[in-house]
Amino acid sequence: MPRTGVFICHCGTNIAGTVDIDKAVEASRNFPGVVHADEYRYLCSEMGQDIIKKAIEEQDLDRVVVGTCSPRMHEATFRKAAAEAGLNPYLLEVANIREHCSWVHKDMGEATPKAISLLRAAAAKAALNTALEAPRLDVEKRALVIGGGIAGIQAALDIAEAGYEVDIVEREPSIGGRMAQLEKTFPTLDCSACILTPKMVEAAQHPNVNLLTYSEVEEVKGFVGQFDVKIKKKARYVDSVKCTGCGICWEKCPSKAPSEFEMGLAKRKSIYVPFAQAVPNVPVIDRDSCLYFRKGRCQICEKECPPQAIDYEQQDEIIERRYGAIIMATGFDQLDPTIYGEYGYGQHPDILTGLEFERLFNASGPTGGKIVRLSDGKPPKKVVFIQCVGSRDKARGMNYCSKICCMYTAKQAVLLKEKVPDAKSYVFYIDVRTAGKGYEEFQRRAAEEYDVAYLRGQVGKIFPEEDHLVVRGVDSLSGRLIEINADMVVLAAASIARCDAPEVGRLVGINSDSYNFFNEAHPKLKPVETHTAGVFIAGACQSPKDIPDTVSQASAAAVKAIGLLSKDKLQGEACTAEVNQAECSGCLYCEAVCPYSAISPVEIEERYHGGTLKRTVAEVNPALCKGCGSCTVACRSGTINLKGFSNEQILAEVDAICLQR
Amino acid sequence: MSTAVNENAAGWEPLIVAFCCNWCSYAGGDMAGTSRMSYPANVKVIRVPCSSRMSPMFILRAFQRGADGVLVAGCHPGDCHYSTGNYHVRRRLSAFKRLVEFTGVEPDRFEVRWISSSEGDKFADEMADMTNKIKALGPNGKMRDARWQNIT
Amino acid sequence: MAEHNLEQIEKIREAVKQDLLGGRIDLLLGWEKGHYWWQSRPLFAQSEEDLEKLAWDSFCAVNLSRYLLEELKEHNKVGVLVKGCDARAFNRLLQDNMVPRDRVILYGLPCPGMLDYDRLAAEAGSVLLSITEENGQVVLITAEGEAKADRDEMLLDKCRGCIYPDPAVYDQMLLPPQGEKESPERFKKVEELEAMSAQERFAYWEKELSRCLRCYACRQACPYCSCRECFVEQENPRWQGRAYQPSENFMFHLIRAYHGAGRCIDCGECERSCPVGISLQELNRKLIKDINELYGDYEAGLDAELEPPLLTYRPDDPAAFSEK
Repeated sequence: MPRTGVFICHCGTNIAGTVDIDKAVEASRNFPGVVHADEYRYLCSEMGQDIIKKAIEEQDLDRVVVGTCSPRMHEATFRKAAAEAGLNPYLLEVANIREHCSWVHKDMGEATPKAISLLRAAAAKAALNTALEAPRLDVEKRALVIGGGIAGIQAALDIAEAGYEVDIVEREPSIGGRMAQLEKTFPTLDCSACILTPKMVEAAQHPNVNLLTYSEVEEVKGFVGQFDVKIKKKARYVDSVKCTGCGICWEKCPSKAPSEFEMGLAKRKSIYVPFAQAVPNVPVIDRDSCLYFRKGRCQICEKECPPQAIDYEQQDEIIERRYGAIIMATGFDQLDPTIYGEYGYGQHPDILTGLEFERLFNASGPTGGKIVRLSDGKPPKKVVFIQCVGSRDKARGMNYCSKICCMYTAKQAVLLKEKVPDAKSYVFYIDVRTAGKGYEEFQRRAAEEYDVAYLRGQVGKIFPEEDHLVVRGVDSLSGRLIEINADMVVLAAASIARCDAPEVGRLVGINSDSYNFFNEAHPKLKPVETHTAGVFIAGACQSPKDIPDTVSQASAAAVKAIGLLSKDKLQGEACTAEVNQAECSGCLYCEAVCPYSAISPVEIEERYHGGTLKRTVAEVNPALCKGCGSCTVACRSGTINLKGFSNEQILAEVDAICLQR
Repeated sequence: MSTAVNENAAGWEPLIVAFCCNWCSYAGGDMAGTSRMSYPANVKVIRVPCSSRMSPMFILRAFQRGADGVLVAGCHPGDCHYSTGNYHVRRRLSAFKRLVEFTGVEPDRFEVRWISSSEGDKFADEMADMTNKIKALGPNGKMRDARWQNIT
Repeated sequence: MAEHNLEQIEKIREAVKQDLLGGRIDLLLGWEKGHYWWQSRPLFAQSEEDLEKLAWDSFCAVNLSRYLLEELKEHNKVGVLVKGCDARAFNRLLQDNMVPRDRVILYGLPCPGMLDYDRLAAEAGSVLLSITEENGQVVLITAEGEAKADRDEMLLDKCRGCIYPDPAVYDQMLLPPQGEKESPERFKKVEELEAMSAQERFAYWEKELSRCLRCYACRQACPYCSCRECFVEQENPRWQGRAYQPSENFMFHLIRAYHGAGRCIDCGECERSCPVGISLQELNRKLIKDINELYGDYEAGLDAELEPPLLTYRPDDPAAFSEK
């Protein structure tokens, strides 16, 4: 039999005004296992806590029930007090006789018996409480950033500056990501490369940052504080240590392939760096187009390379490392607008996506920075921009707003006017959305000072006629049909999640929304956390966002990671699920419903008729379990139970509550 | 009916057991208290971490022990503190509710509700609503264990 | 028994004999005749001699897959004859990680539907000596002569609602499959009960369940009941009271049925094995019907790769309660 002490708080008149405290104390004395009952005006005060502590010591109490305000208010306070008196804090239970009783019932005749009922249930539960320990977990003081765009770079630099080691894994040959593809950034029009390149270099040179480019994460095991990650470093066929980045190899290379960086608008060599400012400035050989790999001859790069860095025999390398925290910064893709047949994308060289058009402005881009039509090389005089291509489109595209298109379109229209002063821009839009510092002003300037015509309405058809493109649409404000003979059309294609985002998410154990963007743990209060402890998200992999938002979120994710890495030990959840493996039949239904991937199969050996049988049972990793208890219901035999809210405890509460009407 | 229910009809008050998830519905109950809303004392709350902790066996046990109504309350779908718990609950308890009704228990006696931590008013309304419905139905003798004696 | 039946048995025997004698399997689970001509019981064949006893007739109702749970502890590789429901039961066990797929050889048999002796005897009127079957008819042979009955009318309840008489999973099909069946009767009884008032339904179930002896034969026969320790036998916590109490009977049968929610393969072995004839299958079918209505069509046991509906969800699932 336990030795339970019951302590009832008056909370001034908050409880005592409606609950007859003396009666409740008297009744509590008769509960099974109760050896002591007392009351105090303010139990949460120092004095009140001392009463509990003293009674624990003097009465040798091994369970404590407090009848007070909600456990969500002061459970921690009282548990701490119990711990100070030498009692395991989880041996204390709270009966909520304020929020759930005295404050919602006006009549003492009603509230008093209900309070007694709640106290009885708490005492019945407490009798079955067991001492619990929150697991203390080691922390590997190193972070992994997946994705080397601006989000990943920023997060890595912040972590590195805080004094922790950080690895960036980037699947392309260079870090830089989408931002490296941009010419200028709205609304200030600073050159994207000019602000990004120094950060890339800083990341490369920072003693705490380790770049793993042309690499991909293969496997993630473990949990917060101790993620064991396998990273595949793809063979570059170039020795990064020997290579000086002189560029002779790609100058001399005779074979070409479409450049990914230039969105296929230009070619690159088979040995290449994706762009001039690439970091690291070490080329890779693309096996698919390389003459040597295809036909076994050529080897010009090998012959020409001054430091003899070319190594055709190089193999993929697997790096295994442990990390304390992971930041996902895998970025976004652009929707392929060919699904919108009426826009004719892919059928005419002068119909481009926003990102393709962006490349035309760049001095090292496909047109050397000249704004010309890809069909005939002439500068365009009339350019039509179409907004929301695949965004805000329930029927064929994405329901959401891609957030950046209104602004980059205004930016491109302004840049166009500067490069081709007699060009005229038309923007078909649904709404112009310019929330952001300086954004509205910028868009207004585009409309008013750069002569950009904003047309509210939709385009129904685009088709080539003679040397131009006929754009037919409706101005929904006036109801007029509009026909523009354009030289060029730019489609603001929706920003979408990376096509392999769900698989990448699954690798680290985080889930995605219906658009495949990674889910944050809470849309308002935990925007960079995920449901997997120790995994954070930053940038456009969570939802479309612009550079300032991305950088802010990256820093936020970095702070969360730093907070984690700065701890010597992590405090786990005490109320976790546990499996009685002797009775577990190993169906693993628990594993299927666990939101935290905290349950996994494990093989045990069992005696059977003198021999041994091997069988699979479930095992809970207490470091990952958050104690929701969903598994306990999926388990038909009750073999998996939840500490702190066990089957026995809840049944005891039901029995106790039902004892009294 | 094989189980004798000998409550005095005039003085009878129903007993309603409400299982509330810690993060939304229990907090909604706290909010009802903080806002000094009022609802019948017939409702007694048992706190569970998540509505997905609700085993149908807890529900039947309450009926066996004399509960006249049972309510399970959790976060609204999409708001689960544990992200997916209430999605599972929706399926589990929809199936179970229909099964219980199939064996003759009146639909109002077992309910599931989504109540957020800010919905103190909804919490109070649901508790009052449930109590009124159960009062109209009268004492529950179905599935009740006649050996279990209540103290009044 | 008809000639074609003897041919079939020979065909089955030949197929499994090779495997058993050749060492591909250590044991064959099949059927043999029981004490009476209208009983076919499980056969545990390990030798050619054992195989001589093999039976395949209209009384092979026993679902053999469940026997794998025990037999796989003793034998490395087991062959099982599977009808439609035995195969679904196998998938149930497979999905529940109860049997390793690579240690079982499934020999598929299309099931004609098994006959109900009680129905035959009642139809015969006087002492039934034996039966023969021809063209969808059962010939009832009694001391007084012969009578004919429509075979479909003489089927076991569990077979009357069957839609999948062919095995959904097998390694080797021993006889030609017969294709899916329509079963307008599957949810008929459930619908009748649904149409009643709550009071009437309760009266019905109270009466049904009051007969329960709590022998747990339903559980022992069931392929979804594979727990090592059933909740009814647990001491701590004591979920299920031992007393013979209506409320305890409801607890047992409701929870047992709920444990089969989205998992029951509708083989009807629970009801068939119930010594007091409780209409247990209606509880299972109620759950099958509701879950299909609410969460999309799902037939447990047809595909072991498809996740059971209660282990998954869609954010926009409907509910059987108000979500306002």
